[in-house]
Amino acid sequence: MKQFRSMSYPYVVWITVLIVVPMLLIVGYAFTVNGTDLLDFQFTLDNFQKFFQDTVFLEVLIRSLRVALITTVLCLLLGYPAAYIIANALGKNKFVLIMLVTLPTWINMLVRTYAWVGILQKDGLLNAVLGFFGIAPLELMYTDTAVIIGMVYNFIPFMILQIYTALTKMDHALIEAAADLGANRVMCFLKVTFPLSLPGVISGITLVFLPAVSSFFIPKLLGGGSYMLIGNVIESQFLTVGNWSFGSAISLIMAVIIMISMYITRRVDKNGGENA
Amino acid sequence: MKKLIELTGITKDFDGQRVLDGVSLDIMENEFVTLLGPSGCGKTTLLRILGGFLEQDSGTVVFDGQEISKLPPNKREINTVFQRYALFPHLNVFDNIAFGLHLKKLPKAVIREKVTGVLKLVGLSGFEKRHVNQMSGGQQQRVAIARALVNEPKVLLLDEPLGALDLKLRKEMQRELKKIQQEVGITFVFVTHDQEEALTMSDKVVVMRDGVIQQLGTPVDIYNEPKNRYVAEFIGESNIVDGVMLRDYEVSFEGRTFECEDAGFAPNEEVEVVIRPEDLEITTPERACIMGTVRSVLFKGVHYETMVESDSGIVYNMATTDRTEVGDRIGLWFGPDELHIMKKG
Repeated sequence: MKQFRSMSYPYVVWITVLIVVPMLLIVGYAFTVNGTDLLDFQFTLDNFQKFFQDTVFLEVLIRSLRVALITTVLCLLLGYPAAYIIANALGKNKFVLIMLVTLPTWINMLVRTYAWVGILQKDGLLNAVLGFFGIAPLELMYTDTAVIIGMVYNFIPFMILQIYTALTKMDHALIEAAADLGANRVMCFLKVTFPLSLPGVISGITLVFLPAVSSFFIPKLLGGGSYMLIGNVIESQFLTVGNWSFGSAISLIMAVIIMISMYITRRVDKNGGENA
Repeated sequence: MKKLIELTGITKDFDGQRVLDGVSLDIMENEFVTLLGPSGCGKTTLLRILGGFLEQDSGTVVFDGQEISKLPPNKREINTVFQRYALFPHLNVFDNIAFGLHLKKLPKAVIREKVTGVLKLVGLSGFEKRHVNQMSGGQQQRVAIARALVNEPKVLLLDEPLGALDLKLRKEMQRELKKIQQEVGITFVFVTHDQEEALTMSDKVVVMRDGVIQQLGTPVDIYNEPKNRYVAEFIGESNIVDGVMLRDYEVSFEGRTFECEDAGFAPNEEVEVVIRPEDLEITTPERACIMGTVRSVLFKGVHYETMVESDSGIVYNMATTDRTEVGDRIGLWFGPDELHIMKKG
């Protein structure tokens, strides 16, 4: 393979320009006094101090983590059975079901989230249907519920596809072996299928939690102008307030939180895999 | 010996293709039965019906006097050693073997004792904590056998368990399996396409083809008295020659009449004569049954595989320790008890 090594150089340049440099810029800005030139580099920790001293930002952070956590749990609870059913479906049905999961992702996320505005708003589709059955209209728009519905809807395909892949990779003979050794269907699932699908569950959780915790357009559309998640704070720091340094500092804090949570998830996966 | 399993008229179709066609078979207690046949003969399907992974379209499976067709695998006193072992990759050796015992909610001390015992039986003492992915094929094989045996089933089903092992290990495991079967004293139903494996280990061999049992008997019977051409060709090498049964104990082929030990055919019935390669001897022209010319000689280690064309143009395959050269004129000799006569067809 050695002779092909030089072929990777363009990609190294590509990755450096597109990923490494922007990240270094974020780190640089986070430790620079706002409004000064990055090249002068006036070191400061004020940006971090500002975040941790203002309870408003901490509240937003906690709300973001809570919303992302609820979203992840819901995606898991809804996504696992779905993935299980798809994995066990036969031939053509399997294909159709996979298409149903992936097809919506072909349409722009923003457009699909706008559609939820139409469904959830006061005189929207949902309340029209409820009204037909004589149920009073629900005030869903601009609540946590609306934001969580939007997130679950947008991110659940990642969960389903990860678990589905893990389930289909599994050797069917293992389930037969478990049944042969006296396990009923529930025990087969608990002792063999589920533990062996854990890697898929873990990557599903990662793929849902990460975008959910930093999403800014879903809360903006479904949560309204005054509904703030950490993504919205970062966005407004960059686009409205113009405080790039503070925005970068928050981004960096989020990155650290995400890294820690990913590390914990992997640890849990490893231990769970060995003890199960 | 008591009858343990009674299969009657088992038929199974897959997508309109008949895989098993009215198979009836009795399996005794403490018997080593081998289902032998090429791939697609229905042997694995029959095993899966016994294990409860498939249900037959018609026919009955009686186990210990009880019809069990509707019973799921977990309710049967039968355990399986799967083709590619199907060990649980997330569990170590101990937990793999203890899987069935944990499900029965046995006390921890009992489980430990049983697992230790069965590991000793399969020669893997001290391997409890080993991860199954870190073991060789032969070791995984033993774990799979231990995992099944520890549940003390009345019958152990083995689906081509030695197929993935190399030749030397396979021979070793054949002896080992036979030993284990005699030690635990339960019925083994073994599926293989390897005739040598079947002959080495079995008490009873069931030769199958296209979902039908061709012949059923002890290894010696099957080898020495194949019922038809298919069995004769499948079980080892053989020379099959057209002949005519003149009367009882007299058969004619190669333009000569030979004494044989078979009877019960119609006078002048057309038959097929089977001669095993190792039953042909090289001899002097005076003593020869058939004269022929050596066409090819292959060295096989213990013997030479020598092809001899008789004067009437039939080529005989013989296994001999005598060295000959291509083109040599030699005489072939066989005794009356080395001819086996089969009905034609």
